[in-house]
Amino acid sequence: MKGTYLGELEELILLTVGVLYDRAYGVSIQDEIENQVGRKLNISAVHAVLKRLEEKGFISSSMGGATAERGGRRKRFFHLTSMGKKALDEANDLRTQLYNRIPKVALQFNTLPA
Amino acid sequence: MITPPRWADNFLSWYCNPDIVEEVQGDAHELFQKRVRDSGPLQAKVFFIWDVIRFFRWSNIKRSKTTYSSNTMTMFKSYLTVGFRNALRHRLNSTINILGLSLALGVTITTFVFVDNMISADSFHVNKQRIFQLTNRIRTDNRIKTEVGLEDWSDTPIVLGPLLAAEQTAIESVVRIEFDGGAVRRGETVFNESLWFVDKDFMNMFSFPVLKGDRAALNSPSQIIITKEISDKYFGSEDPIGQQITIKFDETRKIEFTIGAVIDRTSGSSLYPQILISMQKFEDLKFKENYDWTYQTDATFIMLKPSTSVSVVAGAMDKYKVLQNEASPQWQIADFQFHPLEGLNLKGNTIVSAVSNGAHPAGLIALSVVSGLLLLLASFNYMNISIATVATRLKEIGIRKVIGGRKKEIIQQFLTENFLLCSISMAVGCLISYIFLLPGFNSLYPVNIPFHFSSGNVIFLFFGGLLLFIGFISGAYPAFYIASFTPISILRGKEKFGQRSLLSRILLTSQFVLAFTTIVGAFVFIDNSLYLKNKDWGYNHDQIVAVRTGDKEKYLAMRDRFTNNENVIGLAGTANHVGLYYQHKLVTHHEQQLDIVDFKVGFNYLETMNIRLKEGRFFDEQIESDHRESVVINEKFAEQMNWDEPLDQTFELDSTKMFVIGVVEDFHYDGFYNVLGPIIFHIVPDDEFQYLAIKVKPGQLNQTESSIKQAWSEIAPDDPYNGTIQDDVFSDFNRDNNANLKLIGFISGLTVILASLGLFGLVSFNITRRLKEFSVRKVFGANISQIFRLMNKDYVWILGISFAVGAPLGFILMNSLIQTIYPDPQAAGPIPFMVAVVIMLITVSITVGSQLKRIIKENPASTLRNE
Repeated sequence: MKGTYLGELEELILLTVGVLYDRAYGVSIQDEIENQVGRKLNISAVHAVLKRLEEKGFISSSMGGATAERGGRRKRFFHLTSMGKKALDEANDLRTQLYNRIPKVALQFNTLPA
Repeated sequence: MITPPRWADNFLSWYCNPDIVEEVQGDAHELFQKRVRDSGPLQAKVFFIWDVIRFFRWSNIKRSKTTYSSNTMTMFKSYLTVGFRNALRHRLNSTINILGLSLALGVTITTFVFVDNMISADSFHVNKQRIFQLTNRIRTDNRIKTEVGLEDWSDTPIVLGPLLAAEQTAIESVVRIEFDGGAVRRGETVFNESLWFVDKDFMNMFSFPVLKGDRAALNSPSQIIITKEISDKYFGSEDPIGQQITIKFDETRKIEFTIGAVIDRTSGSSLYPQILISMQKFEDLKFKENYDWTYQTDATFIMLKPSTSVSVVAGAMDKYKVLQNEASPQWQIADFQFHPLEGLNLKGNTIVSAVSNGAHPAGLIALSVVSGLLLLLASFNYMNISIATVATRLKEIGIRKVIGGRKKEIIQQFLTENFLLCSISMAVGCLISYIFLLPGFNSLYPVNIPFHFSSGNVIFLFFGGLLLFIGFISGAYPAFYIASFTPISILRGKEKFGQRSLLSRILLTSQFVLAFTTIVGAFVFIDNSLYLKNKDWGYNHDQIVAVRTGDKEKYLAMRDRFTNNENVIGLAGTANHVGLYYQHKLVTHHEQQLDIVDFKVGFNYLETMNIRLKEGRFFDEQIESDHRESVVINEKFAEQMNWDEPLDQTFELDSTKMFVIGVVEDFHYDGFYNVLGPIIFHIVPDDEFQYLAIKVKPGQLNQTESSIKQAWSEIAPDDPYNGTIQDDVFSDFNRDNNANLKLIGFISGLTVILASLGLFGLVSFNITRRLKEFSVRKVFGANISQIFRLMNKDYVWILGISFAVGAPLGFILMNSLIQTIYPDPQAAGPIPFMVAVVIMLITVSITVGSQLKRIIKENPASTLRNE
């Protein structure tokens, strides 16, 4: 198993997989990120990251849901695993901890320092 | 619905790992449709292509590892069983396949054995890499009407060898070979044998195996070495070592020798010694008072010291060239050549009077090409038939695929079956070659090639390569073709198959093109051979017997015995004899030389031989100048000299001025291989006579010949009788010609058989397939001729096209072959074409006819009831 370090894009996509719950597949993830975050990703990049996440054990996948516009091809749906959830929690915690440690004064931009 | 660009889509499904292609392609398509809605088709297409390009990354291309359980061995066993059962079920087709392939393989194997034998000749000599034959190239620039250039002669100055051995440090030893002949006698057994005088190092240089006796026997000049054949001939089962044998070189030189050793002249040798005598003896015998640069011995071989280069010796040869050219103006050397012993036998045709003879390289190539073509032909047969029969196995393939057989496995299955059949064919082919073809080949030509390969590697590479070649050539296409069907269309019965396959027609056509090519070629050759057989020799050769008398005494005795014989019309002594023995000479006319054939004859010889006078007169014993300086020439001589009035013209022969007194018509003096060249006749005194030519009354030939034999045994009890009926002088040529005829006939017969087998298989299959159709037609009143026409429409076209292509091809090829063999061929007429057409029509009718019988006999009810 590769390292469990979570990259920025990986975290974003992992979060999106969680958000979309049981509708998370390549195109929907790409769509969601574009709508919510405003970031345009190429579909191949999404696939690559999903693959990496699956290899790391953060998500699992299953096939299903053929539609006509896909020419009858099935989708690969992704689901958050418990390890994925843990990774998200840890990232979230880390971020919150660090954020909380920022001195109040450093965040006060409305008063000019003396 | 708008679809993405096909090529990009196909590209994607081609490169993408099949395990993930569904989701990837699905996403790409979904995006495409979305973009069509959002931004229009054009942009969607551009983006689709961009996506496809972006997807092109290693993680998508790389195939995931499959973890199928490996039951490969079981499957192979199953393939073999199924293949074997199938071969048994279609007995006819399997027999045709195996038979055709075996025959072609037999020919290929035989050819290979022959070529391998030729190429690896002399490789048994341990020092082969260090042995070279030394030859010299002679200028022919100043000759009339011969190709300007250099002639590479095996004959080299006799004194050169010892000089080289003494002066060149790079040379380990030198062996000269001097040919001679003599009557060899032991008790009552007397035969003429060919003798080789060789330097004593001969047995060190060459590795002929010694069966008995001492390898160094030649160190003593009173000992000789003989081959096993000679030993068997004279000593039978006795031990020859230490026994005495008498060799009579001529009347004054009759010498006893002791047998020192018996050697085996193995089949791998291109040198053909029979009796080896020390060169020392040759010098002692003093056939000539003194041997100097003007005497050429028949061959000179040198052996270098280990790890020296031949260029060292070659660079030092100028000195000897100068010595030779100063001493002998008749033999002007341009340069010396060093030919490695390996491969020397293949140069036999480029070295004049070569000692090492093998097949002409062109012959080897032609034979290889022919057997390659036969092999292709047989493989085509196989391909045709297996494509045809596969229709009966479509269901099997469908089921295999449905159950989970992959394309790869179907291909494997068919290739396995194919290799099984090919291996059987190869075994049968070996047998055919061993039992029939190779012995047949050996009996046709004066060769004795064993079923033997030069090394184990050669066997492995040859048979392995051959199996792979025929296996893939014949099996690959059917296997891949079959495996590409989709199971659904097979099982639905949709797959239409083998009906009008363009490929099988092309294959059949090319088979028949080959068949027509060879058969027309064969008949062009046969036509030409018959023409040669009946060709006018330029003189009346029947009723003439030539006896080799050897010397004057016996000549006179024989002459006196037969001068007044009632059955003898005429007789004459001669030194050379037409058809048996002649010599080349150079004559000089106005500083220019002409290479001519020189016949030294006695008076009355031309009359006895029935040679036809064109103008002038024959020799007359009463005219004094005829004894010395008169010559009779042939038409070619006058033509090459550009003489309109040849009579009384002069030229120089051995620095004597000769006057032309008569011109005879051109005649054949040596088979039909050579172009008729210029000839001269001139008178020599009777002590030079070697032959007595006797013309016999018609009908008395055999009787007279036996009385000649009788007289000979009384006059010369010491010498074997050596006489020839003139009709037989070209027997070597005729034997070669007959052998060529048989070989070409065999090959063309084989192509016809193979093509017919192919046709037979295809027709029989097509009839089986259309049996129901024909039955229905019969029920509705179609008669046999209508069905016949229906059935044969295709084949008539194929035959027609094949004839149109193959016949001229065969004609052109064989004509050019004939022209290279025989300088004076006849123009081939229409007969070969007609014969070829008739033969092919007969074979095709038999082939198709035998199948037609099935339809005629078939009761429509039994076929149609089946369903």
